[in-house]
Amino acid sequence: MDRILTANVHKDRSFALEVYEAGGGYQALRKAVQTPPDDLQEIVKASGLRGRGGAGFPTGVKWTFMPKQPQGPMYLVCNADESEPGTFKDRLIMEKDPHLLLEGCLIASYAIRASACYVYIRGEFHHAARVMERAIAEVYAKGYAGRNILGSGYDCEVVLHEGAGAYICGEETALMTSLEGNRGYPRLKPPFPAQAGLWGRPTTINNVETLANVPFIVERGAEWYQSIGKAPKNTGPKLYCLSGHVKRPGVYEAPLGLPLKELIYDLGGGMLHADRPLKAVIPGGSSVPVLTAEECVVDLDFDSLAAIGSMLGSAGIMVMDASTCMVKAIERITHFYAHESCGQCTPCREGCGWLERILNRIESGRGRQEDMDLLLDIADNIQGQTICPLGDAAAMPVRSFVKKFRPEFQAHVDRKACTVSSHAQAHD
Amino acid sequence: MPKLTIDGREIEVEAGRTVLQAALSAGNEIPHYCYHPGLSIAGNCRMCLVEVEKAPKLLIACDTRVQEGMVVHTDSERVRGARASMMEFFLINHPLDCPICDQAGECRLQEYAMEHGRGISRYVEAKNAFEKAVDIGRHVMLDQERCIQCSRCIRFCDEVTRTGELAFFRRGESTVIGVVPGKPLDNPYSGNVVDICPVGALTLKEFRFKTRVWYLQNTPSVCAACSRGCNVFVGVGTQRLLMATQGQQDESIKRIVPRVNDVVNGHWMCDEGRLSYRRLYSGERLVRARTRDDDDATWEDAVRTAAAILKSAAGKVGLLISPRLTSEDMLAWRLLLERLGGGPVGVRRLVEGKDDDLLIRADKGANSQGASWIFGDATAEADLFAAARAGRLATLVIVGDALNPEDGPSVEAAARERIASVIHVGPFVPGDAASAAVLLPSAAWSEEDGTIVNFEGRIQRVRRCHLPRGEGRPGWRVARDVAEAARLEMPPWTSSAEVLASLAERVAEYEGLDLESIGLLGAETGVGLGA
Repeated sequence: MDRILTANVHKDRSFALEVYEAGGGYQALRKAVQTPPDDLQEIVKASGLRGRGGAGFPTGVKWTFMPKQPQGPMYLVCNADESEPGTFKDRLIMEKDPHLLLEGCLIASYAIRASACYVYIRGEFHHAARVMERAIAEVYAKGYAGRNILGSGYDCEVVLHEGAGAYICGEETALMTSLEGNRGYPRLKPPFPAQAGLWGRPTTINNVETLANVPFIVERGAEWYQSIGKAPKNTGPKLYCLSGHVKRPGVYEAPLGLPLKELIYDLGGGMLHADRPLKAVIPGGSSVPVLTAEECVVDLDFDSLAAIGSMLGSAGIMVMDASTCMVKAIERITHFYAHESCGQCTPCREGCGWLERILNRIESGRGRQEDMDLLLDIADNIQGQTICPLGDAAAMPVRSFVKKFRPEFQAHVDRKACTVSSHAQAHD
Repeated sequence: MPKLTIDGREIEVEAGRTVLQAALSAGNEIPHYCYHPGLSIAGNCRMCLVEVEKAPKLLIACDTRVQEGMVVHTDSERVRGARASMMEFFLINHPLDCPICDQAGECRLQEYAMEHGRGISRYVEAKNAFEKAVDIGRHVMLDQERCIQCSRCIRFCDEVTRTGELAFFRRGESTVIGVVPGKPLDNPYSGNVVDICPVGALTLKEFRFKTRVWYLQNTPSVCAACSRGCNVFVGVGTQRLLMATQGQQDESIKRIVPRVNDVVNGHWMCDEGRLSYRRLYSGERLVRARTRDDDDATWEDAVRTAAAILKSAAGKVGLLISPRLTSEDMLAWRLLLERLGGGPVGVRRLVEGKDDDLLIRADKGANSQGASWIFGDATAEADLFAAARAGRLATLVIVGDALNPEDGPSVEAAARERIASVIHVGPFVPGDAASAAVLLPSAAWSEEDGTIVNFEGRIQRVRRCHLPRGEGRPGWRVARDVAEAARLEMPPWTSSAEVLASLAERVAEYEGLDLESIGLLGAETGVGLGA
């Protein structure tokens, strides 16, 4: 497949407007502002584009939730908080091809009749923020943003907002609350953002990669888009973030539905150490259920992974070889969620820390026979009972690690020590 | 109006209500911490999870709007399991220091743990340790370890007082409530956060460690600190009574908390009112009847002396009266004055500060409105004093404040010089009252039943919360005793209810009212000073 989303990233000064335009950039925006917004919504709907942030909700359908007759301002929010561990694709787009994102933002804003687009960028992405700032200044200077865009009569402001370093602010409602200047707490739904979002106004929130797909769909059509990947429900190009015990970690572009083994052994160059076979893979960022080596005969798309009880999520694929202590791995992941829990609602606030402490005991040889069942029960009590998906994000990996690698947990308890011999190496 | 089924019972509720409200109105208490009817919905405690048919997950009842045909289960196995797990989560980091916690006995954590908890703890890890006994404001102490982060107090300061002193700090299980440095919690309504705290995290400095709540005898009454007339419960300590069989008159008020009345005070009251009971203990109490000339005078002696003075001064008697008396007392003094041939009446005006936009009224006369109904409008103190200065008064009856000794009433010096004898009636000995010819103790605000009228013309009942001190008795009885001794004809009242019946006959706004129709929430008349 020709590179689509990453076509520009290796070009010299790929971040500059003139380089982007030389490659045909902003033609899609010109076309879009001559098209009725509802038609754009239909095109995106027909393309089958699904949100690349994690949930995989159909983007065009989400857009149609916005009111057709705006009564006051409406907003597009670009979720550029990319905070799921193992995920680093949006950062690549913003650092190397910011105009692709901005063109997508402007088309999407037009399609949903937004009066402004807020790009909420992860606080740690300092360089990406500077690149985006420069690119935003360029689109204003060129008339792609601001008043009367390309003479169409459509006005749209583009605002970059840097987060302050909280995982939870990648959750769409917490993001909006944070954007409003408040503590980043998720909100109760309903109301959904399209009813009452940012400052109580109808709002659509899309991920960076999702929006980066939009210019291509507008330019080349829904049919072309459907030809990539696995039609009808898992279409289009996808950025895969490969990390862990592989020879060549990095961001890879391939159609949705790329076989996981192909990503690891072909694109990724195979396992890092020839003598350490594959043990497990987390396929969609640290919050999704882990796969055993046997389960890795799966295609990387939303529905294939859902069918085996995991998720594509943010396509952060973390590969673990035989030297990995699964107790240590889940302890570290759980530490992250306990640390990042916003603390607003009870099960997540109290439960994540409890999970972490138990895992810490097991890993350090102080586990009890009843701890594995207790972990599963606590995870059950968190999952589905919280305001936002962070509770699920903490509970799902714990459940899958304990269920799929229970003998390893049991061995820790029985021998009162970590049982993976190359422990120190694994945790380098 | 949508009909829904909760636990097999069909109920009909107003559209827009939540499942929690619907259940509460049907007498089914779905357990909850963060929901409070006077605040916005937070949905953070997750205690009110219920099963709604056709919904895949359990839903929080506090944020689920009722819909036609909805079928709700609040006691299914799934729901009970969810509650048990929430209780477990609440308790794993809770200090379980109930034996030294002021909330014990009225703690939702205790109550729900008993009702919905597992009864045992599976938690063997170290508990989080936070600050205890943090001084966060003039009246409020915070224990961060007991807090369950329901955010009621934060929402109160954000939404009701709009002062925003409280906030969450840090995150996750390290989250604590606190104040911004240099901005303590000292808004005029700060005590309410203690009432709405479902656990022992926020305690009132003036109440903490004073008594266990189960020793409190709570009487529904009305605050007399201003003309709003906030509905309250007055909590009187009974511990010593139980332990030592001493008379209850030795017991004192330990706290006042607001009582819900949507049209008067909602769920709230101000700190001034909440702590107003302390005034009762701030000055010299008048416990025995006294006369200036006889140290050994009995009640009967003093009443006879007063009667003699009044008889001889008939036609030259004035009445200076506190606006915090009950209407019953006011009527009794009015009738006594009428029997003596009438005379000028001065009603003390207690005005301080300004009305605010929540509850506090500048007029501190809890019954100023009732006074204007009973004595009419020509009751300026200045006119009374002018009459005295002009030598038109020989005797002045001063009926003192029932709540605050500092509020007198007192007579200006130039007027006092021209008055031959003063008869002082009241629970205190304020100012120069000690020099009165006769002093007769009467009941304080918390010691007698009666009615007062708020600025909106709402007639409400104040209640006897404990017995009067010493020889003190309701003002209407003092007036009746004096009238009897003076052989003046007065209705033979034996209870405040009978005085209320006289009010209903003689004061137009009271017409048709009795104790029952006034009830716990008061009776509206639509005739108010501030309306």
